[in-house]
Amino acid sequence: MWSEKYRPQNISDMVGNEESRSSIMEWFAKWKKGTKPLLLIGPPGIGKTTIAYLVAKQFGYDLIGLNASDVRSKSRINEILAPVLGNTTILGTPMIFVDEVDGIHGRGDYGGAEALIQILKDPTVPIVLAANSDVSDKMKSIKKVVKIISFKPIPPRLLRVYLENILKKENATLSPGSLIKVIDKSRGDIRSMINLTQSLVTGFNPQTEKSFETINVEDGINAFFKANSVEEARGVLYAMQIDPRQKIDAFYSSIITSNLDKNTLAKYLEIISRSDILFGKIMKTQNWRLLRYLNETLIELYQNDDRIRYSKYNLSWPLLNRIRWDGRKIKSLSSLMAHKLHLSSSSFSTIGLPFVLFCIKNKKLELELEETFGEIIEKEMELIK
Amino acid sequence: MLSTGMWVEKYRPQKLSEIVNQTEIIGSLEELIKNPADMPHLLFSGSAGVGKTTAALCLARQVLGENVKDYTLELNASDERGIGMVREKVKKFTRFAGMADAPFKLIILDEADEMTNDAQTALRRIIEDTAKFCRFILIANNISKIIDPIQSRCATFKFTSVPEEDVIARLAEITKKEKVKADKKGLKEIYDYSEGDLRHAINLLQATASLGEVSQENVKASAGLAKTSDVDLVLKMALDGKITDAREKMIELIKVYGMSESDFLKYLNSSVFKSKHEHLSKILEVIAKYDYRILVGANPEIQLSALLAELGNIE
Ligand SMILES: Nc1ncnc2c1ncn2[C@@H]1O[C@H](COP(=O)(O)OP(=O)(O)OP(=O)(O)O)[C@@H](O)[C@H]1O
Ligand SMILES: Nc1ncnc2c1ncn2[C@@H]1O[C@H](COP(=O)(O)OP(=O)(O)O)[C@@H](O)[C@H]1O
Ligand SMILES: [Mg+2]
Ligand SMILES: [Mg+2]
Repeated sequence: MWSEKYRPQNISDMVGNEESRSSIMEWFAKWKKGTKPLLLIGPPGIGKTTIAYLVAKQFGYDLIGLNASDVRSKSRINEILAPVLGNTTILGTPMIFVDEVDGIHGRGDYGGAEALIQILKDPTVPIVLAANSDVSDKMKSIKKVVKIISFKPIPPRLLRVYLENILKKENATLSPGSLIKVIDKSRGDIRSMINLTQSLVTGFNPQTEKSFETINVEDGINAFFKANSVEEARGVLYAMQIDPRQKIDAFYSSIITSNLDKNTLAKYLEIISRSDILFGKIMKTQNWRLLRYLNETLIELYQNDDRIRYSKYNLSWPLLNRIRWDGRKIKSLSSLMAHKLHLSSSSFSTIGLPFVLFCIKNKKLELELEETFGEIIEKEMELIK
Repeated sequence: MLSTGMWVEKYRPQKLSEIVNQTEIIGSLEELIKNPADMPHLLFSGSAGVGKTTAALCLARQVLGENVKDYTLELNASDERGIGMVREKVKKFTRFAGMADAPFKLIILDEADEMTNDAQTALRRIIEDTAKFCRFILIANNISKIIDPIQSRCATFKFTSVPEEDVIARLAEITKKEKVKADKKGLKEIYDYSEGDLRHAINLLQATASLGEVSQENVKASAGLAKTSDVDLVLKMALDGKITDAREKMIELIKVYGMSESDFLKYLNSSVFKSKHEHLSKILEVIAKYDYRILVGANPEIQLSALLAELGNIE
């Protein structure tokens, strides 16, 4: 992926936001215990995460990162950060970087924001936060205890220089018209500019002005199967400018749910299977050039068969709900019990759990488990024959 | 009698000498630990429920004594998301030295054959980097899935299925201690279902006992509890051309119950063997094809759905 390949390795390789960058350097240079944490605010893809890592490197800190995918509950935050904030000698010179703090909200983050604010108020190591926006309520209370540095979209003039430089290194070209459109479309977001350029140059989308007319997934899938000719279907396919993973999955769920006979279903799934293999290989080798063949595999799905309609989901509602609710509880029960029985979670739920439930059901076994598991055990017990 | 835990754990041997069968292996392990400092890395292979993990845990206890908790790291490769997590955990575990009172720290890595070749190559590096303070016990069902450079660094022990008389003797011992009535036919029936897998045998024993006495009839009523029966069902529905039903059942196993894709394929394979289907070799060929596709592809669910659809068209 070019946007990773060209992630700046030095602060001096970065473009734009010079003042913000030098304020960050100054903050680090002057940092001492108690200095207010930094909050970097700005739109996506302009170098907030990048500079956090680079500054840490330059000033010799060990960066301890939390990001949106970490569970942001109070206990998790304390678990990860307590050793850092407490005894600092065992860990070298740590600093904390909380990426995408604006992601902390809603019911999933039990006490996460409060726990974080407590830490922010009394910083014993440098703390840097990054966020795209600062409007939510949670952000308002965070803003009170930090120093804010804003990042602005990168101006077109700088984008152009940067892009031409990358194109030169890749030995690639874009027509002048496309170049301007790419820069304009990216609205100051370097990452999306690089991604778009790469998709154009590698031929995932043919390099025509038309490829800027994009179609959404739903319309795309429906138009694809309704097309009157292969050419038309191909046009639709190329115009669906979405993430390749999403594209494959959309075809997959639409085909699965379209009530096809077993023969046709197998034929289509074989094609989807090959697309997935191609995509898997691309991901593993990071050989994005191969993406251009993906559409040529997917086009085989066009067989003048207008029975297929777009569907976002490929499972029945009851099963989707069971995955969402019961699945989560069974998973946490399994990982707890599996450990005690020296089994993997997968083995436990296959060859352990059913016996456990059976014995409980026959009132011959009582496990000392947290109450939270009571409900799921009841429910699963009922399902046993 | 009301139990508060599973019998498999309650009756897990605590010393190497208590392990049933596997006598040669146990003898040689006991020999090896007489001089712990010289103990090589170990690789245990064999089918499920024959004492591999038990042997590793006993060995840990016997070598490390009261420090066993602090100096043993137990990992299960199929639970770790990628080799990176294994590396992190090993790193954390080895970071704090201070082991004047133990010959080494022990890392037990169960289901090591679930790791890809790339991950195993990285594991080799980890083994090398930590060799000064650590010993590994790797455990695998299928030793041919362990790459040569790793095999060559380990002393290898192949565990065999526990024979009928040993299984029955063990079960009888447990019924006596648990004060459960059991007859010969019942115990024999349990053995027949378990095929030398002592874990399965003991689980089935406990389930049967929860119905009352261990008779042939009660064993039959408790057999087929394991979710492997659901895999048999998926196979049957797929071969009957009921792809949608087969797929929903499979996804339930994987996404609700957390059965790993590779476990699913493992059970599917043995299900095929048991089925004695007339197109047995054709079926196995199709499964092998998708087993490979899962490895190279990006979304296992897609590959497994395509597998079921293809099975539905075999004739
Ligand atoms: N200032 C910059 N100079 C050079 N390249 C940049 C710059 N900003 C972003 N990039 C490119 O975009 C990629 C992603 O940047 P980064 O992760 O820093 O974004 P971010 O500002 O943290 O975005 P988000 O808000 O989405 O987290 C980098 O790997 C690099 O290729
Ligand atoms: N050889 C054995 N001797 C005694 N008990 C055994 C033996 N093999 C398995 N068991 C029983 O089965 C359970 C699981 O055994 P384990 O060693 O975890 O199997 P695996 O070979 O799958 O690692 C143990 O807790 C024990 O109760
Ligand atoms: Mg970022
Ligand atoms: Mg085991």
